[in-house]
Amino acid sequence: MKNTPVFITILISALICVSGHASTIVENQLQLYQQQGASVSDPDHGEQLWRSKRGERSCTSCHGDSPTQMGKHQKTGKVIQPMAVSANPDRYRDAKKIQKWILRNCKWTFARECSAQEKSDILTWLIQQ
Amino acid sequence: MSNRKIMTLGSVLMGGILIFSLYGIGNTIASGDIDREWEGRGSDINKSLTVNNAVYIEECGSCHMAYPARMLPPESWRKIMNGLEDHFDENAELDNETKNIIEKYLTGSSKYSNGKYRKMFRNLGGQSPLRITELPYFRHEHDEIPSRFFKDNDKLNSLSQCDACHRNAEKGWFDEDDVFIPGVGRWDD
Repeated sequence: MKNTPVFITILISALICVSGHASTIVENQLQLYQQQGASVSDPDHGEQLWRSKRGERSCTSCHGDSPTQMGKHQKTGKVIQPMAVSANPDRYRDAKKIQKWILRNCKWTFARECSAQEKSDILTWLIQQ
Repeated sequence: MSNRKIMTLGSVLMGGILIFSLYGIGNTIASGDIDREWEGRGSDINKSLTVNNAVYIEECGSCHMAYPARMLPPESWRKIMNGLEDHFDENAELDNETKNIIEKYLTGSSKYSNGKYRKMFRNLGGQSPLRITELPYFRHEHDEIPSRFFKDNDKLNSLSQCDACHRNAEKGWFDEDDVFIPGVGRWDD
């Protein structure tokens, strides 16, 4: 096919654009947390948060132990797609969605809003998975 | 033009008209425009129970089935949408703009349901319950199912996951023919 090289170039460029898009959104989000008082992100602390429990509640209650695997809403049974980008490239493409879920889920899990530092730590850990 | 050519052209035209007519009838049936039985696939009630608001599906449907608006009276939706911080013991808060879009859709679609769909709200006595499972009509429709089939069923736990048994619930189909209780099997009373 005569046009194959052109097609492949376009395809690769498109893929680069798409993957770049998600990381730009995360970068912007992390910058926003810095403006709100967070210092350098600590992914290890992010993982600690992921596993910490308040009574029976933890991130893992619904998301499961590993962010690379699918979770299940503990009450409704609805499947939750993996939080790790490696397993679910569609994650973290929408800033509003990131903010909405971190706000809600910190309140449900820890009965309080997470600090800018905690948000930054957990997001950094999740995107590395 | 020879007679033969005219005949061929005529056949092609007639064939085309026939195909278009059949296509039209098919579409009418599929969209439920023909008044069929009260509870049949493609009937008006099925169509009216189809959820077609993208914001509602995205925001609410990510945690549970996006329940049809006509399954609760407008006042129930209003109460639900104004208490999302404690939504059945979950935090489901939304920004105001999104909340307003969904509230308008749910109360609006429920409000304009005509007499036929009011069946769902029978014997409510002016109450506005927060759960579809609390509607007298719902209870009546499910009262023959032994509680061990859902309460003691690990795959269900309650009757609130419509789509666990009503396999085509998301298409607005709640007919008994489609019911399959996980771990139990087909249900037919």
